[in-house]
Amino acid sequence: MTDNFEFTDKLKKNLFIMMGIGLLGLVYVFLLYPENSHARLWSNILANTYYFTGIGLFGMFAVAAGTLAYGGWHILVKRIFLSLSGFLRIGGFILAGIVVLGLLNVHTLYDGVKHILHEPVVTPNHTTKVIFFAPVFWVSRVFVYAGLWLGFSWYMNKFFARTDQTDPKVYKQSKLLAAAFIVMFALTESAASWDLIMSLDPHWYSTLFGWYNFASYGCAAWAMTILLVIYLKSLGYLPKVNENHVHDLGKLLFGFSIFWTYLWFDQFMLQWYANIPEETSFWVKRFGHGYFKFTIFLALIVNFVFPLVFLIKRGNKRNFKIIGFGSALLIFGHYVDFFNYTFVEPNWNHELDHKHHAKVETEKVVLYAANEEHHTTATTTDATPAHDNTEAVATEVKHEEAKHEGESHAHETGAEGEHVGHGEAEVVANYASINIGEVLVFIGFLGAFLFLFFRNLAKRPITPENDPYLKECERITVTYS
Amino acid sequence: MSAASTTSNKFVVGLWDHEEVYLHAIEHIRHKGIEIYDSLTPFPVHGLEDALGYKESRLHTAGFFFGATGMTLALTFMTWVMTTNYPINFGGKPYWPVPSFIPITFELTVLFSAWGMTLTYLVRNKLWPGRVPRIYDKRTTDDRFALVFDAEKLSDADISSIKEVCKKEGAVEVKDKVFAENEGL
Repeated sequence: MTDNFEFTDKLKKNLFIMMGIGLLGLVYVFLLYPENSHARLWSNILANTYYFTGIGLFGMFAVAAGTLAYGGWHILVKRIFLSLSGFLRIGGFILAGIVVLGLLNVHTLYDGVKHILHEPVVTPNHTTKVIFFAPVFWVSRVFVYAGLWLGFSWYMNKFFARTDQTDPKVYKQSKLLAAAFIVMFALTESAASWDLIMSLDPHWYSTLFGWYNFASYGCAAWAMTILLVIYLKSLGYLPKVNENHVHDLGKLLFGFSIFWTYLWFDQFMLQWYANIPEETSFWVKRFGHGYFKFTIFLALIVNFVFPLVFLIKRGNKRNFKIIGFGSALLIFGHYVDFFNYTFVEPNWNHELDHKHHAKVETEKVVLYAANEEHHTTATTTDATPAHDNTEAVATEVKHEEAKHEGESHAHETGAEGEHVGHGEAEVVANYASINIGEVLVFIGFLGAFLFLFFRNLAKRPITPENDPYLKECERITVTYS
Repeated sequence: MSAASTTSNKFVVGLWDHEEVYLHAIEHIRHKGIEIYDSLTPFPVHGLEDALGYKESRLHTAGFFFGATGMTLALTFMTWVMTTNYPINFGGKPYWPVPSFIPITFELTVLFSAWGMTLTYLVRNKLWPGRVPRIYDKRTTDDRFALVFDAEKLSDADISSIKEVCKKEGAVEVKDKVFAENEGL
């Protein structure tokens, strides 16, 4: 008896239509948003590729972690996890290509990094950044990730198929492979998040950014697995997978959503409290703009409040309709999250940054003044001296601001001739929004992801028949009367 | 888990030495309509609640309300202190800095739900200090899985039939256990 997935022509046709829609979306974005050398087109490609590559990586991570922990719960859906990595055949290389094209001045996403390499101002850690983002080092790093991801996805699929289908004796060796993958994943995943996403705004720091991306991938990968399990069950595959297995996946989805929120809040609160201009300019840009303020809160509501309210209940995690809807919603929510990071164009700009820094400083003083005033009037009757004083400080800051602007203009003109790649084209702050173009491109990438997933899944039997933990997985039954 | 307080002093105790056999035995015994008074195992057995037909515990609902109490208390207290009682300006932040309340709110929520659930569990199971529990067999903390049947109101024929069923279902030992009046209650 063979239980290979049959990749029907009808499904193939549907997925090709989805990819066609995506291509249409790319053309649409290319034609309609030519600002900053089509930055919005490249943001679309970067965000989607990064997102789906992460889901693929996390699929392999789930299997590696389960294998190392002597886990039995995931055995029936193991092949689905491994097949998610199908997208890594192209994902890593598209990302590497985006970096190379950025350095070749085809697009402007990484202009901030290019600028920092020649920047005369020595900001903290400036030297380290110059070394870290030296073009040769940077590009070779990205290609190393792509190669490692491709190699591991190919080898892990092959090796686990061998242990699952033929000889249970080699099962022990799979632990070694899983351990090697975890080490590789931990290093490349966080480094890739710095190289590809955090570098869009080279002055901005977040030391937990790798973790944060990991949590996003986790949510998206569990959600994707739940949806695929439900889909495959509706086609008649995976007869032994029941609501107990989906419940386990749902628990992980819920847990990772809370984990994501924890990291989101950590990142936000520390930067809000410390109030260092390099870090807060990131938030000022986003909170200062209506649409991004909306998407940031949208991401929080979809990725935190929704799971907290709807997925905490046991029955909801066992109901295929509710958990399926929740999974689809969370896949969208984490796309919005990456949208918040990639779609401010330009993420970094010399002139805009100075303005933002000055704005932060002014706001700080004004806020302080308001508080001081409130407090003094509350306790004493005579509040005039304090008021006058803060007024003076605020004016001083405005002068500073003007001076900064003048400097930055001078700097821009001076630097133009040397290196700034995109030539005379004026850089404008262009805030994107999730509209028809973004939706079409996302559908296209989803089609490509699913095509590679099903192609990978069809190659080998779905059930790992010789896995020593298969019986344990089949027997998970917990039903309360 | 269940330590129902009754006035029974006479029990039949069946002992098993294997988890799998024990689980099947419970299913078969319940199927025959024999009421099980208590079940004691040396470690948590997966699927035991299901086999015994227990209802889902309501402890987590209590935990939610304890947590909600802690959260409300933390937020109310900090809001009162920072806005009304003693407003201080910290680094230009607003007088009602909600983001900086969240870690403390989280901690108090966890603290209240954890302590509340632990205490509820101990009270519900009568595990307060100084209480001498009834021990049906000392080996249930080592390597024996026990089923306890209430034999107070059963006839001798019923008791012997229960013993026979236990033996048939793989019990390694079946014995009578009689406590003195109100011992360990």
